[in-house]
Amino acid sequence: MTIADKNELRHPPYDQASGFGWLLAELRDHLWPWAGKGQPARKAIQGAGFALALAATVAWVMAALGHLSAGAIIGWWFGWSVFEVLVRLDAKPYVKEGPWWGHLYRRASVMDMLCYVSFKNLLIGAALFIGLKSAGILQL
Amino acid sequence: MKALRLLSAIAGRLALCATLLQPAASQADTYEVKLPPELATAPRMCDYAPCKDVIPGATTFSERKGQPWYVEAYKDEAGQKKLLGYVMLSTDITDIPAYSGKPVVTLIGMDTAGKFTGVKILKHSEPILLLGIPESALVKFNNQYLGKFVGDNIEIGKSRPEENLIGLDAITGATVTVIAQNQVMMTSGSEVAKQVGILKPVNRPQARFPVSTATPSWADLVADGSVQRLTVKPEEVGLKSDGRPYMDLWFGYLNQPTIGHAILGKDGYDSLMGRLKEGEHAIFIVANNSMDSFKGSGFVRGGLYDRVQVRQDKDGFTFRDLDYVNLWGISAAGAPAFNESAIFIIRGKSFSAAYPWKLVFLGNKIDKETAAKTFANFDREYWLADKYLEGGRPVVVKPDPTWLKVWKDKVVEIIAFTALLLVIAAAYASRDKLVRRADRKNKWPVNAFKYTGWVLSIGFVGFYAMAQPSITQVLTWFHSLLFQWKWELFLSDPLIFIFWIFIIVTVFVWGRGLFCGWLCPFGSLSELLYKIGQAVGLKRFQFHLPQALHDKLKWVKYAVFFGLLAVSFFSMGLAEQLAEVEPFKTTFLVGLFNRSWPYTLFAGGLLGLSIFTERPFCKYLCPLGAALAMPTTFRWFGLKRKDECTSCKACAKGCGSLAIDTKGNIDQRECMLCLDCMVLYYDDHACPPLAQERKRRDKAGQPLTPINGKGYFIPIHPAPANTKKEGAAA
Ligand code: SF4
Ligand code: SF4
Repeated sequence: MTIADKNELRHPPYDQASGFGWLLAELRDHLWPWAGKGQPARKAIQGAGFALALAATVAWVMAALGHLSAGAIIGWWFGWSVFEVLVRLDAKPYVKEGPWWGHLYRRASVMDMLCYVSFKNLLIGAALFIGLKSAGILQL
Repeated sequence: MKALRLLSAIAGRLALCATLLQPAASQADTYEVKLPPELATAPRMCDYAPCKDVIPGATTFSERKGQPWYVEAYKDEAGQKKLLGYVMLSTDITDIPAYSGKPVVTLIGMDTAGKFTGVKILKHSEPILLLGIPESALVKFNNQYLGKFVGDNIEIGKSRPEENLIGLDAITGATVTVIAQNQVMMTSGSEVAKQVGILKPVNRPQARFPVSTATPSWADLVADGSVQRLTVKPEEVGLKSDGRPYMDLWFGYLNQPTIGHAILGKDGYDSLMGRLKEGEHAIFIVANNSMDSFKGSGFVRGGLYDRVQVRQDKDGFTFRDLDYVNLWGISAAGAPAFNESAIFIIRGKSFSAAYPWKLVFLGNKIDKETAAKTFANFDREYWLADKYLEGGRPVVVKPDPTWLKVWKDKVVEIIAFTALLLVIAAAYASRDKLVRRADRKNKWPVNAFKYTGWVLSIGFVGFYAMAQPSITQVLTWFHSLLFQWKWELFLSDPLIFIFWIFIIVTVFVWGRGLFCGWLCPFGSLSELLYKIGQAVGLKRFQFHLPQALHDKLKWVKYAVFFGLLAVSFFSMGLAEQLAEVEPFKTTFLVGLFNRSWPYTLFAGGLLGLSIFTERPFCKYLCPLGAALAMPTTFRWFGLKRKDECTSCKACAKGCGSLAIDTKGNIDQRECMLCLDCMVLYYDDHACPPLAQERKRRDKAGQPLTPINGKGYFIPIHPAPANTKKEGAAA
């Protein structure tokens, strides 16, 4: 959203960090949907999120061991992505505003979060998928 | 026995009639039809295929014969069987895929003089022929072959008599399909023509080998390419992996003395060469730890090794049991272990080791969905290094790959199109300058570029070049990303390829608005209609949906996109058909009046509606727009807003895309980057805070300073007392 209403802007706890530290914090933020320091979140959603993430991880590991088909892992990844939207809306309800290298964030609407999670997980999923496939583990 | 055969023949014919005739009424005659499985394997192929249609006058047909397969066609002449010609099934001979990635199954007839007598498509998977271009176009294309000689140099494009090149008219919008089809026709025809002696093999000058005393190790041989490896993964043939490759072959050429000595040892080499006659060549193949055997069992039954072949340019060399010699061991130090081995003798006169050749592994791929077997070739090139050939490697001109040919053919269009994209991107990048020159009443500084973009994208990109991007391409990527990425597939349509690079880059930099708002042929056409409607006095009939309703309906396009994506995982074919929700094909590829009425009505209705309300399709239905809107969430550079925008509604009122919310924020996913609001932003007669300040200064007799990048007049500060001194000092 091109912001007129400044109330929409947000500051994640790490936005003061700079340089490498900030990059690390960003990376962590992309990979870790749950609340960190200074991020209030509802226990139930977080807990269920952990459980589901664990299951999704197990699914990837099983795929890596060759016990899960491509379709099943896509299903798992999709299911987890839907839940990640909920977890993030609860714990980290912001997305980047403007250039990716900038430090500006805005309040995430449901659609923002959906776009963010689907795009991020598409990239992660594709990377893992291609990795497993070129290792000859996943069958299509 | 006879009765049984008759019965099975009748059953076969019936099955064929059912498959070939039943959908004849519909438009999609042969799109993804189910062919009788016997067609691919039965010795009496013509019981399952309409062979008579491709070789007029034929009454009887032989069983499949040869390598690769063909059948002979006969007619009765005074009680005598007379050979009329040959019929071949393209998929028996080649697996060249068409645009869909699957081959077009074609039945081809050729007379004894090597002239094509008939071509019939039995099955294709080309969505473009199903949805856009009528199948009759392909039939018409194929008819161009009739009467042409298989040995001629036939290519798509203009005839060039000075180069002995016969050109065929392509099907506009299906270039890739026809280029593939031409390769299929020529490969199939010449394979059979060579077998039956119509085409004579090419005579290549034989290689001469320099004398050398070197004894290379296995590693040396691998490093200089004297032994090559051909690996086929289980997934490439549709099998489940058990940790081993499906086929893992090492091979090399043995006549070259240095290599031959290294592999066989001196005695082995001498004894092998002693067996070879002039013009005969030996290669070795070893395999280790593979899931299958490269010898197969065909040689037991038919005396023919049907899994490996050597190809040199258009000539193929197969091996029979008499061409086989045992290979007991490899002398070269460091050679890998193996559990299957062979020496094969190439007896064709035309083979020459001075030129590159390929070892081909002929496999079958099992289709996951249908469990049907299709033919799949895997090959690896081999060419002796300079040092092993007297005088080094001869010069070989390799033909351009298909995609490169297309790029060369379309070079003018490519340059013009790239220039268009660059100019529009440059204009948009300079938007700040352009919108400052424009004002509410005169938006030409911006619109000159935008309208030029529209007109060119409608006329040149849409109607002429048919380069309208489509959601089907996005679906194809999703699948390619996950299943198999083939650059050739994407490169085969240069304008679309370039367009997509542009789209991806600009979506991340500025958002989807630059493509949708300035360059999408259909989007441009619909907004142009709206503007024309406005200009010709239909303005009073023009309307926007109420914002609240719009805010609900705008989600429909995302549902359409996700729906298509989901369907595509189950059936790409169905998704392609459902992608007809995009009226692009009807509008640009086929033409509004060349399709059946429901399509015409749909596209025409949307365009008609566009006269009265701005871009209804883009706002509510377009799956491509939705797919591009999602990453637009992360565009880098947005439009500008002022604090006052939160309470001012001026821009929101003027936004034809209804993209500005009640708090003055722009929803970049909906914004078409028309820049109307940016014109207002700097317009001191239209933007309320600016206008107020202008009036205030006018009243107070203060000068109007320039407007800064934040959209305000540069504040007037009293000049510091010492400015003059500083200035003087400077
Ligand atoms: S929304 Fe669809 S039709 Fe409209 S401009 Fe964008 S891609 Fe083109
Ligand atoms: S008026 Fe502004 S917000 Fe609306 S479409 Fe045009 S550029 Fe986008």
